Amino acid sequence: MEESNDKKKKSRREFLKKGFLAGAGVVAGGSLIAAYVDKSAPESGEKVKALTTNGEIIEVDKAHIKTPRVSIEESHKGIPGRKFVMVIDLAKCKNARKCVEACQKGHFLPKSQEFMKVYFLQDSDKSAPYWFPKPCYHCDNPLCVSVCPVGATYKRSDGIVLIDNERCIGCKFCMTGCPYSTRVFAWKHYPEYEKDGQPYSPEASSPGKEGTVSKCDFCPDLIRMGKLPYCAQNCPMGVIYFGDIDEDTVTNGSETLKFSELIRDRAGYRYLEMLGTRPSVYYLPPVDRQFPVNRGFEDLEESVKNRYKNTPYGKNHKL
Amino acid sequence: MKSVNLTSCIFILVFLLVISSAVFPQEKQDSSSSKTPNITLNYLNTSNDTIILSASVSIKRELGVFALQNAEITFEASAGGNESKFLGKVKTDVEGNAVIKVVSKIGIPTDKERKTIFTAKFPGGARYLACFEKTSVRLAKILVSFAQEDTVRVIKISAFQVENGVPGKPLTKEKVTVYVPRLFTLLKIGETTLDENGKGQVEYPEKLVGDSLGNITIYAKIEENDIYGNVQGKSSITWGIPKQYFLAERPARQLWTPVAPIWMIVTLIIMLTGVWAHYLYAVFQLIMIKRHAQKLRNNPPL
Amino acid sequence: MEYQSTKEKLLQEVAPHLERTTWVARLWIFFLLAVIGIGVYAFIQQVTKGHIVTGMRDNVVWGIYIVNFIFFMGMSYAGAIISGALQLFRTEWRKPIIRMAEYLAIISLLIGPGYILLCIGRLDRLHYLVLFGRIQSPITWDVIAISTDIFGCLIFLYLSLLRDIATLRDYTALKVPAWKKKLYSILALGYTGAPEQEIRLKRATDIMAAMVIAIAIIVYSVLAWIFSVTLQPGWHSTIFGPYFVIAAVYSGTGVLVITMWVFRKAYHLDQYITRKHFVAMGVLMVILAALFGYFTFSDYLTKWYGSEKNDESLIRILFSEYYWPFIFSNYIGVLIPLLVIGIPRLRTINNITFSALVVIVALWFNRYLIVVPTLESPYLPIQDSRPEWLNYSATWVEYALLAAGIALFCLMFTIASKFVPVMNISEMSETPKPEEAVLFQSEESLL
Repeated sequence: MEESNDKKKKSRREFLKKGFLAGAGVVAGGSLIAAYVDKSAPESGEKVKALTTNGEIIEVDKAHIKTPRVSIEESHKGIPGRKFVMVIDLAKCKNARKCVEACQKGHFLPKSQEFMKVYFLQDSDKSAPYWFPKPCYHCDNPLCVSVCPVGATYKRSDGIVLIDNERCIGCKFCMTGCPYSTRVFAWKHYPEYEKDGQPYSPEASSPGKEGTVSKCDFCPDLIRMGKLPYCAQNCPMGVIYFGDIDEDTVTNGSETLKFSELIRDRAGYRYLEMLGTRPSVYYLPPVDRQFPVNRGFEDLEESVKNRYKNTPYGKNHKL
Repeated sequence: MKSVNLTSCIFILVFLLVISSAVFPQEKQDSSSSKTPNITLNYLNTSNDTIILSASVSIKRELGVFALQNAEITFEASAGGNESKFLGKVKTDVEGNAVIKVVSKIGIPTDKERKTIFTAKFPGGARYLACFEKTSVRLAKILVSFAQEDTVRVIKISAFQVENGVPGKPLTKEKVTVYVPRLFTLLKIGETTLDENGKGQVEYPEKLVGDSLGNITIYAKIEENDIYGNVQGKSSITWGIPKQYFLAERPARQLWTPVAPIWMIVTLIIMLTGVWAHYLYAVFQLIMIKRHAQKLRNNPPL
Repeated sequence: MEYQSTKEKLLQEVAPHLERTTWVARLWIFFLLAVIGIGVYAFIQQVTKGHIVTGMRDNVVWGIYIVNFIFFMGMSYAGAIISGALQLFRTEWRKPIIRMAEYLAIISLLIGPGYILLCIGRLDRLHYLVLFGRIQSPITWDVIAISTDIFGCLIFLYLSLLRDIATLRDYTALKVPAWKKKLYSILALGYTGAPEQEIRLKRATDIMAAMVIAIAIIVYSVLAWIFSVTLQPGWHSTIFGPYFVIAAVYSGTGVLVITMWVFRKAYHLDQYITRKHFVAMGVLMVILAALFGYFTFSDYLTKWYGSEKNDESLIRILFSEYYWPFIFSNYIGVLIPLLVIGIPRLRTINNITFSALVVIVALWFNRYLIVVPTLESPYLPIQDSRPEWLNYSATWVEYALLAAGIALFCLMFTIASKFVPVMNISEMSETPKPEEAVLFQSEESLL
């Protein structure tokens, strides 16, 4: 028996080494090993311990363990019949940063790379400031995809915009193309990338690679397992709703709502609509807030708190 | 499992008060080395002669809550006495969950009130102490059917107790919630309170997307009930709006698609041919200059 | 014959530069190689340690590498447009300086793209640009356009060199190694100046002169579109294409004036490159200064007047954090040439060269102000506690590579001048035909 953090504290590599299947729950006597051992693949020579359903420990060649991650080629297609949408309820966000942390953990990112960023915005001097979590908007008219010279970033049939870091040449044109400052660049090799240990898939955006661009991916690897993206799963306030727009349903895990009704009743909008990028992320305005805005400054790391020092609010309140 | 059974919580508390020292005598002594994991048990009756029991084991440490994986959980059912029926053993997965499907045909023991106590036991290990969790429920069943009167479509629900495998008394005044399954979770579409005959109905809402053929599954659930636990019934019908798997409006030649718009390709070809034709013309002139030089060498002018 | 004697005299004049390298020149080449060496070391640092050694970060993803790229490409297009236009219009005063313009076009065209390569995170995947190129991306347009331009400029330069190479081949008194003679003989393509050859050469040269002008305009517009197709405030401007073309020719004219000054001093060409030529280039520079000022003004005026939220914040940054660079590049860089060349008394060779130097530096800062402040003021405000993420400041690696680029430019110019004279001796030996109207008689008549 081993412990593992609820929120995937243990890296997937260790998990694999200690026996992928030893830990896997065997549902009603069903077997998982068959799904993951592919004997047809050529041997790599590296052995990995695995546990059969009978409880026997066997040694399997690493190349024979099929990763649940989807290949690069497959990742271009998109999950059939789906079109994903995210709704972020600004009234509930108190900058707990659990979305950021879970996302970084899930994607094996260093602290200096954030796929999800939480901004502290104030639209004008007299208007009220609010917390603004910002993932990738997975636009339907994605300028980042248009400007990519090598097709390393692409939009799939399910609306998700992914990056293939095996193809990316690192020209950073997509970063200037995106008006939402969504994309991050690997300015060097970060040791966190090595903790993954699974083969690369654009659907997991991991392991990262020096000299390439990456960004929020809507976690299609989790969606395939029927799970919500890391940010939506881990938000303690249930700020982030996610779902299939063709099904007209979004959920934050504990609450499942009709997307069209939610947007209608709460006056949902898309950020900077006038840019014509047609995002897949909607915001619910910060009305009837559940927390005072300065709650977001509590329990913050000093370096994170300092980010908001130069905002008009931060200056007035001497953060 | 997320939803902790309220009944079982209360039950456990009472249980602990009664026989506190007997079950966890170790708890105080060795908080340093061994720890008592936290175990939860969730009961779901699918109305399909199967019961799904899921246990979740975790342990609290200073750094947070950790799931206990690969822990062997024993599931049992009893009528309250010392005798208990063994249901199965399952190891927890990476998230600390162990799930077992119990076929109710095997004969689940019941007490005089037709209640059954389900138990999930963790025997303990080198670093962890033993723990268990119980839940007490009465078996019940929900049936879902459909009816259409003119343009109004109705989902009909009936619920009753199950006594020795046969339908018994109807469930009255219980709240039933109706859902449709969606990608991640169930979407609530209505709720009703059962009448004295154990019946209720919910109007079918318009514009619900089904699968590509319009099939849609409707779930009716009694949730976290003090007596019946979680009971669900389901049934499918072709009332759903067929889901479009390949939307025609998803464009083929756009700025962002792999294939470029035709005008771009045409413009590029025109420009490149125009420029390179001139280059070739210039190079051709150079070749002719060289030819002329050779001609002059062969036939020098007088 | 007058033609022959002029030619003979010119050859005697330029031959020493081709025949031997003085110790001053050797020292100069050694110095350039040392600077390039530092650049190579900086480049190795960047490759091994990653782009973290530069000042670029997630907001300012393009720093002075892109500025240098625009700058060198601009010089190239200026060289192409000036040499092409002077050739087409048969401008008499072109003859001693057209070769320099052609060299400028090709040399900076070979250096410029190097800077965009420095921006690329994974140089090992460079061939993907060809393998997986997408026509929708302005970078693909740029790859196609620059490679087309390189071929065009090489053909144009070769056409212009052909007669001189033939002359050098036939100049038996030239004391150069045998391999060099052999090279001249191969490259001359047996050109003897026979009427048919002459007609064909002229046809090809005229066609290519027109082509290099057209391509230079297209290629530089493509470069501008890399910026203006994005939605970034400050970049998303329809004026960028022509603005970049004008700025390019403007800065390139400045570089050409400096080149003229340097070669005039180094190779003692006072006799051939005279005040007349400097004033002629100066006049060109004044026209371009006015156009550049006009485009700059239109661009910032519309942004400032409309004062859309993000444009306003950009202008605010330009007039606060970047106040002096902004004033220098967009005011002083326009006014100095206007004053120096506008006032006849100030029109000396040294003054014109000085104003050219001002123009070059001002235009480099102009490109810096186009690239960096825009990236520092995106739609979503940058909220970061890391200073290097907030504001861009180039590191020694980037400056070392800037210096290496300039050194490489000088080195290539030096080597080129050792191979074929920096003046078009064949054209200079010709007396202007009456139908080739002399466009420029004296500077007074023009102004």
